[in-house]
Amino acid sequence: MASTVKYLRVPPNSASLEEARRRVFDFFKTACRSIPTIMEIYTIDDVVTPSQLRSIVASEIRKNAHISNPKVIDMLLFKGTEELNNIVEHSKQRHHILGQYVLGRPEITPDSATKDQGSEYLKNFFRSNYF
Amino acid sequence: MASSLRSAILRHIRVPVTQSLALNGSRLATVRSMSSHGDDHLDKQAVIDRVLDVVKSFPKVDPSKVTPDVHFQKDLGLDSLDNVEIVMALEEEFKLEIPDKEADKIDSCHLAIEYVHNHPMAS
Repeated sequence: MASTVKYLRVPPNSASLEEARRRVFDFFKTACRSIPTIMEIYTIDDVVTPSQLRSIVASEIRKNAHISNPKVIDMLLFKGTEELNNIVEHSKQRHHILGQYVLGRPEITPDSATKDQGSEYLKNFFRSNYF
Repeated sequence: MASSLRSAILRHIRVPVTQSLALNGSRLATVRSMSSHGDDHLDKQAVIDRVLDVVKSFPKVDPSKVTPDVHFQKDLGLDSLDNVEIVMALEEEFKLEIPDKEADKIDSCHLAIEYVHNHPMAS
């Protein structure tokens, strides 16, 4: 199986926040090192660059940066490792990768910000039936 | 007869050990210098330029503040995750794989330039 991340043995819970932090950085490095493989599998070289993908991974990690419980961090790392495994094993498809990670980010698709200039009426309409 | 003549001659010719060793040493040295493994280290100025380019193209960094002595977290206001990201960008640029213990120490442009310059596999 192509480059499955070390996943088979679930490691014991992190003893401290410092160890959890170290595991987060290891996960980030593993993800960055598999970025060339991902770009080749899903042929996204014309849409994003590796450095943009690194920034995307970093921002996903940063969304949970405020958590202080090591067990919660372990659980999030488990989910992240599982997701990375799925992506690297080609269990997903190109539109999953693009839709979930690439599109909708202002620094990568800047023109979508200008396209959203619908009218105020339309914005309310999309939000709810009653306005 | 030729063999006995040869051994008689060889008995008279005394090649001193040191001289033969020196011959071997110099021959080995010449062989070693012909291999392309000798030109390991990149030019220091080229390393500095490339490292600074990598740091400047990082989206959260202000390119005007980047100098060869700048500290990532103290001067550029990045956090530890950004530090790891910059180290990964350097790994990609120079086609290296930096082990964890070394990567933790790379905190500033100066250390990054030193590490890359001293690494034999950098390209």
